[in-house]
Amino acid sequence: MRVFRQALTIAWKDLRSEIRSKETINASLSFAIVILLLFSFAFDPTSDTTREISGGLLWIVFAFAGALIVNRSFARDLPNDCLDALIASPVSGAALFLGKAWANIVLLLTLELVSFPVFGIFYNVAWTQRFWPLMLVLVLASWGMTVVGTMFSALTVNLRLRELMLPMLVYPIMIPGLLAAIQLTTALVGGKPLEGDLLMWLKLLVGFDVIYTALAIALVDTVLIG
Amino acid sequence: MREKIIYGLGTLAAILLVMNLHRMFLGLPDEADQGAIYRIMFFHVPAAFSFGICAFLALFASIAFLITKNFAFDAFAVSTTEVCLVFGAVNLITGMIWARIIWGIWWAWDPRLTSMLISWLMYAGYLMLRQAIDEPTQRARSSAVLSIFTFPGVIITYKAIDWWRTQHPGAVLKFRTGQQRMDPAMEATLWWNVLAVGLVAAVLVLIRMRQENMQRELDGLRREAHAL
Amino acid sequence: MDVRNFTYMFYGFAAAWVIVVLYALLLTSRENKLRREMDRLRRMIEDREVRK
Repeated sequence: MRVFRQALTIAWKDLRSEIRSKETINASLSFAIVILLLFSFAFDPTSDTTREISGGLLWIVFAFAGALIVNRSFARDLPNDCLDALIASPVSGAALFLGKAWANIVLLLTLELVSFPVFGIFYNVAWTQRFWPLMLVLVLASWGMTVVGTMFSALTVNLRLRELMLPMLVYPIMIPGLLAAIQLTTALVGGKPLEGDLLMWLKLLVGFDVIYTALAIALVDTVLIG
Repeated sequence: MREKIIYGLGTLAAILLVMNLHRMFLGLPDEADQGAIYRIMFFHVPAAFSFGICAFLALFASIAFLITKNFAFDAFAVSTTEVCLVFGAVNLITGMIWARIIWGIWWAWDPRLTSMLISWLMYAGYLMLRQAIDEPTQRARSSAVLSIFTFPGVIITYKAIDWWRTQHPGAVLKFRTGQQRMDPAMEATLWWNVLAVGLVAAVLVLIRMRQENMQRELDGLRREAHAL
Repeated sequence: MDVRNFTYMFYGFAAAWVIVVLYALLLTSRENKLRREMDRLRRMIEDREVRK
């Protein structure tokens, strides 16, 4: 289980560096709140409309702010050749990737758990009716987003237009997972139980996670080292 | 030698296309419900097949490149991806023109159309990524990885009419449904056009590959010229 | 309805062909550019070798 221990070390390193500087979490949190604010002008936030689009609204916020988080994860190690040092170290590509993915998902979940109460207050929506199923969907969907995003962060880390290319490449790939997350979130925020049609979306989400995690772990060495 | 293959395939494609056009317009009657416009299908569906086959070939070439590090596979990957984008665009636009008449709207956000658009955007992203990386080895490696990540989208596009109830017409071809749902003469013409359009795609891929080789020769010449 | 039907059918065919032809033209122009660059470089190499 050396891979897991190495991944944990790297995850903890990234999180500690983030806790000390707070640059990513501040930026993404502010961005999320600003988008939530902007959307309240985009349409009239009466509770009927809001409940219908709650999933879409929330996951667009998480996707945009999440791109910020994921972008930083490999870019953080560019100065002083830290990334080269990490790649040259005995840590395997998979461990490096998993470590960064775990750090990213912690940050993303923090962002989401702060955004939900803000959303509830701004739009007057009671979102805690199906709290634990909602948390399950949150974790599964965030993992899917994180895995794809971290993978492409590694791929685009050396590009000039990194901040532009990463979202452009990642969003189309994430759409199946995002769509499942949106459908499930809208239903759960609206108080519907997790059964029937929704189970199909849950299966899609789990399938998305499994396939892209496997692909990412298989290909990350190629991307980082060659 | 390659020139001859290109010309040969091109001529064959042209002959087949002319034959099919003749059959389409003079051999087959108008469709019962749709009228004349159903003939768009004879380019819409073959373009979709070309898109899918080229995407699959790009996947194969990407995996082969990652395993063998042979740049011929990288050239093949970029050529097939470019051609797949062209035929994907043909598919989307002919579909939209058909939809304007039959459904009354240019676009619908149903699973088949949406997933096709997403797949097209993903392969456009592939070309953008290639433009952003100057170093050939890194460019080939990164785009190969991207190609592997984008292929599931194509599978979703293909299976969309099976997995969801879509506004887009469901499966009618014999190999998908096991039954003869379309008039046999129409289906035969369709398959002949799949071949014809596929040959056009093959010609374009070969020409593009030749250009990739030229580009590599050029880079070598440039290095030699500046070294002297 | 039928006239519009025919018109749009031709639009459809035209669109398909225009896209393919545009791509073929793009390929041709790229090829010409590559050839010109290659000739230029070959001449540059010849000049430098002659000068040696």
